[in-house]
Amino acid sequence: MCLHVPAWSAAQSDSTAGDIESTEQRIDALIARLAKPAPATISFTEVRFSTLLKTPLIVSGDLGYSGPESLDRRVTTPYREHTAIRGESVKVEREGEKPRSFALKHAPELRGLLSGFSAMLLGDAAALRKSFNVELGGDDDAWSLKLTPADSKRSRRLRQIEVTGRQSEPRCFTMTLADGGSSVLLLGNAAMEPVASDVTAIALQRRCAE
Amino acid sequence: MKLTRFALLLLFLWIALLAGLTWFVQQQLQIGTDLRLFLPSPTTPEQQLLLEEIGEGPASRVMVIALEGATPEQLADSSRSLVERLQESPYFRLVTNGEVSLDSVPDDLLSYRYLLSPTLDERALDAKYLHAELQARAQDLASPAGAFLEPWLSRDPTLELLKVMQRWQPMQEPNRLFDVWFDAKGEQALLLAQTRAAAFDPDQQRVAVDALNAEAERLAREDGVKMTFSGAGKFSVMMEERTRGEAQQLGTAATIGMIVLLLIAYRRIGSVVLSALPLASAGLAGLAAVSALFGTVHGITLAFGFTLIGVAQDYPIHLLSHRHATRTPVEVARDIWPTLATGVASTCIAYLTFLFSGVVGLAQLACFTVAGLAVAGLTTRYALPVLMAPTGRDFGDSVWLDRLWRRMERLPRPVWAGAVAIVAALAAIVLAPQPMWESDLSKLTPVPKELLIQDQALRSELGTPDVRYLLVIDAADAEYALQRLEQLDESLQALVAEDAIAGYDHAGRYLPTAEKQRQRQARLPEPATLRADVAAAVRDTPFRPDVFEPLLEDVERARHLRILTIEQLRDSPLGVSVDMLLTQHGDRTTALVTFSGVRNVAALQRFAAAAGADVTLLDTKNASETLVTHQRVKILWSLAVAAVLLAAVVTFSLRRASRVYRVLAPMALTTLLIIGILQAAGVSMTLFHLIALILAAGLGLDYALFFEHAADDPMEQRRTLHALLVCSASTLMVFALLATSTLPVLRAIGLTVSLGVVSNFVLALLLTRPSAATHVT
Repeated sequence: MCLHVPAWSAAQSDSTAGDIESTEQRIDALIARLAKPAPATISFTEVRFSTLLKTPLIVSGDLGYSGPESLDRRVTTPYREHTAIRGESVKVEREGEKPRSFALKHAPELRGLLSGFSAMLLGDAAALRKSFNVELGGDDDAWSLKLTPADSKRSRRLRQIEVTGRQSEPRCFTMTLADGGSSVLLLGNAAMEPVASDVTAIALQRRCAE
Repeated sequence: MKLTRFALLLLFLWIALLAGLTWFVQQQLQIGTDLRLFLPSPTTPEQQLLLEEIGEGPASRVMVIALEGATPEQLADSSRSLVERLQESPYFRLVTNGEVSLDSVPDDLLSYRYLLSPTLDERALDAKYLHAELQARAQDLASPAGAFLEPWLSRDPTLELLKVMQRWQPMQEPNRLFDVWFDAKGEQALLLAQTRAAAFDPDQQRVAVDALNAEAERLAREDGVKMTFSGAGKFSVMMEERTRGEAQQLGTAATIGMIVLLLIAYRRIGSVVLSALPLASAGLAGLAAVSALFGTVHGITLAFGFTLIGVAQDYPIHLLSHRHATRTPVEVARDIWPTLATGVASTCIAYLTFLFSGVVGLAQLACFTVAGLAVAGLTTRYALPVLMAPTGRDFGDSVWLDRLWRRMERLPRPVWAGAVAIVAALAAIVLAPQPMWESDLSKLTPVPKELLIQDQALRSELGTPDVRYLLVIDAADAEYALQRLEQLDESLQALVAEDAIAGYDHAGRYLPTAEKQRQRQARLPEPATLRADVAAAVRDTPFRPDVFEPLLEDVERARHLRILTIEQLRDSPLGVSVDMLLTQHGDRTTALVTFSGVRNVAALQRFAAAAGADVTLLDTKNASETLVTHQRVKILWSLAVAAVLLAAVVTFSLRRASRVYRVLAPMALTTLLIIGILQAAGVSMTLFHLIALILAAGLGLDYALFFEHAADDPMEQRRTLHALLVCSASTLMVFALLATSTLPVLRAIGLTVSLGVVSNFVLALLLTRPSAATHVT
């Protein structure tokens, strides 16, 4: 038994190395498949969970991507709101209110979303790896990409982003925050059906994996 | 050189006395660097304020820092690390890169947010308002802004702290990248650092500048970022270093030149060493007199004082050159004393008038010079001759001096040339296109133009306060000042709206009046009421009802807070701006309103005129120019009195009108010629030209007196010629060296005195000796 252990572990590490190789290639292939020419628009429904809230906040609208430094998030229901990211600055405008501007670094979720989005729409796996440690799970019909911020400063608030999808269609962006809150972004077809006002995170997970 | 016992004792006593003086001076002397000592005492409130502003005002203490040469993200990181490190430094009161972080508010100020924010002026903190706010917060939470608001919501659902912080932001916000200030192009990260020391305190400023230099080195090494900074403080340090450096170089060159010259002239090391004793005594006596009378000596007094008493080197030269084959040095000294004493006394009396010029720096200078020259004269008369070898070379025997004298006697003395020179000088003074006087204070210590332009560019990017216009409010106490500011605020906002100014700043933007705070405090609900209101407000929002306990605690604390005072705010890291804008002078309080981007001065003036008698619009440029003009008038009056006194002393000493005329004419004509030449060369005159003119006049008087003294004895004529040649050559050498300086102050003095030496020597020679034609018999 004892004699076998080294041989077994050697084989194990070999196969792990091989897996990493192939996983990387699979990630590259997947991300390349997701590429779309800018400008791209996709409808979304965002469900925000927070320890302060008894029921989640649900808004929907569309995301417009027109380049790695430019993202527009338009909320149409239940009220109208427009967030424009231009480079490092973010401006939030809401009907009947003074616009509010702040730096992107104050909104780590948004930055995560932006870099994740950019990398995918560009099909650029290398860019994604620069900001995140990337793990791939599932198969082509129900894949999930786990993105963990590589930068420890950023991970202080944003713990993880999970992107799930089917074939070349991304369905959900789930962002988990360090304080226990989370935000689930249903994209495209996943956002078609309305979300119940008392929806739970688990119910959403199910919908994302459909 | 053999000394008698008496001479040895004297030498010992002299050196012991000098050592004693050195000790006294070292104990007593404090060197001051406040430039304002050289400005006249203010007579109007504007001038008073100006002097306070020049040295201590907010604008003068601010250094602008720029970081460049890396990606904006790196620059922003470096900017943050710089703020952290400089804030720990004891030399800076405030360092800021524009970053507002809710975390930067000290805990004990947090509860004051309800007293500082204007929210409660318009509405009560009731269920209706809370409900509307909570609805808005829910939307915020669902928006990307939610991330940074979330941690605060249970404590501050109405975002009161954010409102307070926004009020505290500069009105004219600079460009921001990654949350910190950048220039418009996004290439330079910008910061402001306010030094603790006033701008015209070069010693303290130097420490601050050194700290910044060390940071610049660190940033270059660690981050590869290039850091530059500028500001009045840096400039004053830079100019002081340059002046000191050049003065030292030129001084060393002059000393070596002087020693060589004296060795050539007298060929004895002993004589040269001895001749330095009166000058050394003069310097120490001057220092001792100033430190005994004034306590501190201004750096400028020292620099110019030593230049002015350099004339004292002429006194031993006269003694050495007048040595006689058959008479002892003591007899020679007694011989030339009336002439020497007239020169010393009249120069001293001329300087004495400065004592009454009302300018402390000039009074110090006068005290220094008078004490120094008197001591140099007296030691040359009574101590030096005893120490000198009884016999020495008699320059009366010199063949070449005889030949030179005869040749000079035969020089033509055309009266018309004098008339032409006078007319030409007057014409130059009248016709010269530039103003006769320089009224711009900054021209006295000019900073290289490219640095000023760079500084101005950075300041306008940052929207730092305009340096020229300031609104000044005089009030009995801080509370009254804050009330006035509150009243004026509406009109100030109107000025911004009509684009007369881009923004303004005053203490009232940071701290409301006690009355206002009390009103707001009274409107805060009682705990039970608030609890019920919060419960009602939360009911149909997505928020959980139990998360707002921290809000209830904070409001309850705010209800019992003592009103926030200016002193409390001053002690907090946020208080620096307030401290600058609201100052206590004795039992009065002065509040300042600073402006940025002044576009319509007339509107500003109208506003100030309508604001009331306690409000003054200070035009610092105008006030400083009147101050300089005022100073000049005083100095010119001193000079006029000095001229009269000088003439009186000479008249008293020489008694005959023709002799008086012959002695005074070269000096008067030289003064006129120097002014004419300077004007023709396009030079506007400053305080330093005036000081140099007096120095030159003193030299001219000495030359004329000695030429006159030589009378008709050929031996004595040759000795006098030798003395005056050595004197004028040495003085010319020293000041010609100064004239080569790159610094305008040193150049002004060097050039003026050099012209004076040449002109005085030539004119004294020509005018004090009647034409040769009437003499050769």
